[in-house]
Amino acid sequence: MAKLDSPKVLVVDDEDLLRNGVKRLLEMEDFAVDVAATGTEGILLGINNEYDLAIIDLKMPDKDGMEVLKKIHAAKPNTVCFIATAFASYDTAIQATKLGADGYIPKPFSIEELLQQLQLGYKKRLLLLETERLRNDRENRLLEIAFERTRMNTIVNALEDGVLVVNKNGEAVLYNPSALKYLSLDKIVIEEFILPKLHIKIAAQINRYLSAKKYLPQSFSIQLPLNELNESFLQITCSPVPHPDGSLAGVVIVLKNITELKKIEQLKSQFVSMVSHELKAPVAAVYGYLKLLSDDSVQLTQAQKKKFVERSEFRLDALLKMVNDLLDISRMEMKIVQREIMELNIAEVVQSILEFFSLEMKELNLTVHFSVVENLFKVKADKEEMNRLFTNLISNAIKYNKNGGEIDVAIEQTENFVTVSIIDNGIGMKDEEKKKLFQEFFRAKNESTKEISGTGLGLSIVKRIVDSYSGKIEIESEFGKGTKVVVRLPLKSKVLKDHVENYVQA
Amino acid sequence: MAKIVIIDDDPDILDASSLVLHSKGHEVSTATNPDDGFQLVKNATPDLIILDVMMNEPDDGFFLAQKFRRNKITVPILMYSSVSKTIGMDFGVSEIVPVDDFVEKPISPQLLVEKVERLLQLRKENSSCS
Repeated sequence: MAKLDSPKVLVVDDEDLLRNGVKRLLEMEDFAVDVAATGTEGILLGINNEYDLAIIDLKMPDKDGMEVLKKIHAAKPNTVCFIATAFASYDTAIQATKLGADGYIPKPFSIEELLQQLQLGYKKRLLLLETERLRNDRENRLLEIAFERTRMNTIVNALEDGVLVVNKNGEAVLYNPSALKYLSLDKIVIEEFILPKLHIKIAAQINRYLSAKKYLPQSFSIQLPLNELNESFLQITCSPVPHPDGSLAGVVIVLKNITELKKIEQLKSQFVSMVSHELKAPVAAVYGYLKLLSDDSVQLTQAQKKKFVERSEFRLDALLKMVNDLLDISRMEMKIVQREIMELNIAEVVQSILEFFSLEMKELNLTVHFSVVENLFKVKADKEEMNRLFTNLISNAIKYNKNGGEIDVAIEQTENFVTVSIIDNGIGMKDEEKKKLFQEFFRAKNESTKEISGTGLGLSIVKRIVDSYSGKIEIESEFGKGTKVVVRLPLKSKVLKDHVENYVQA
Repeated sequence: MAKIVIIDDDPDILDASSLVLHSKGHEVSTATNPDDGFQLVKNATPDLIILDVMMNEPDDGFFLAQKFRRNKITVPILMYSSVSKTIGMDFGVSEIVPVDDFVEKPISPQLLVEKVERLLQLRKENSSCS
């Protein structure tokens, strides 16, 4: 019985005796043998099966052995074919070889002769298969490489960061469109010496690697303005690429647009400088008064001393409020505000704030009109935050009012929002002041506001709270006439119950 | 005794500074914003201007100082600076910052008086020379 990996042999011969004799002999030698009694049958078997070897009789009644050889060789070029013939002649041998025969077995043949031929043939067969496998591998790999190249190019070209690769001679090897943009170049020619075309500082960075005697393993980053107006900024990082032997292969230059980062950085330092100034101002004022109070060379009246102490207290109080407001803002910015969301009746919140301020309003002879159109709607919110929101707004309406003024507070439902309007007929704001309304530390400074204390942070806190509830705040104001503030907060009404619940949780 | 104008938006700083200089026998007038300050200097023709660097805008003191110089007002200017060191900005007396000296807040009355006297002295010497 032939083993699975036995060489497969096809024997095509019209002589029964010889055909079957060869079959038996070869099977004893561990070959797997198929036989065909006619040329036609031989072709059918030969082109439909993968034989390692084939022995084809030259003279058959139906087909010429040469034709069988031709057909099988065309379909299965790796099948090693032998022509067996009693009419061995020089011409037929050449013809058979031309048609792809690998050997020529003259009849009659001895067992030893046949086996020797077949063993040689089988070795050839294995070589042929190996060759074909290698060829296929190579083709596949070439395809893969081509595919990888396209893929890499696609990725590199799609990058928003600019990429430029230079070899150790400073010649461009690879670049993407973003690199052209950031380097302000119309084109880069592959393999051109690129250094003179680059910004002198970038070229200098690349040169550090190219001129170094040893491979420098670290990357260098520099920041450059993209244009003369200093509107955009680039961060350029140069990284060396080593050969496997550790020598320098080239340099990869990555250009990143860091304009946004720079802007944030700038905003941050502006904010820090504003905060420092705002915190230092009351300290400076109190310091000035204390120096006067302790200075024996300055003669102060009792009234002056009293005033200085009172003013110091006033300024320190404001300083404390400011620090608290700053802490609040920082908590909101970091989103670490602990919220207890519950159903709140905004009308009740506003009512209690108005009661809280009632004494102050009485002293200023302010009249309050409080109207609630319907008292059923509720908002899901944190009570502390709603308190702070409306306390800030109502206290502004009181502070920036005038003696005998009026404050109108109205609460109503508009579509899916609860709308709270706070209208005063106080000192109002100028147009240029309105623009800066929500800026940290901005306070309208004029004759009427001189004596009013405030941190300049109230409205920026108000805005943050309203925004965090997806609400809206609108302010209208006319200098000398008064101010109208309208706050809209999403409503949790009966109709929209489910929707709003999902909305708030999401 | 000299005429001094102080321009600063902080009423308490104005108060304390005026009192210090007043007690040294100077005549002090004040303004709380750059516009009023400019008018006051034009009308009062002081011997010295004290100017806060930061009022409505972080640098409007500088602009006011430049405006004085552009309008041929050569009176010495002493500038109150407040956050220069905190934010790493170090001002110097220069063409762009046409002032004669700086005092950093919080202001020590003693230092203020010293600087004021020195500038007034310099002005006196300069005018007697020319």
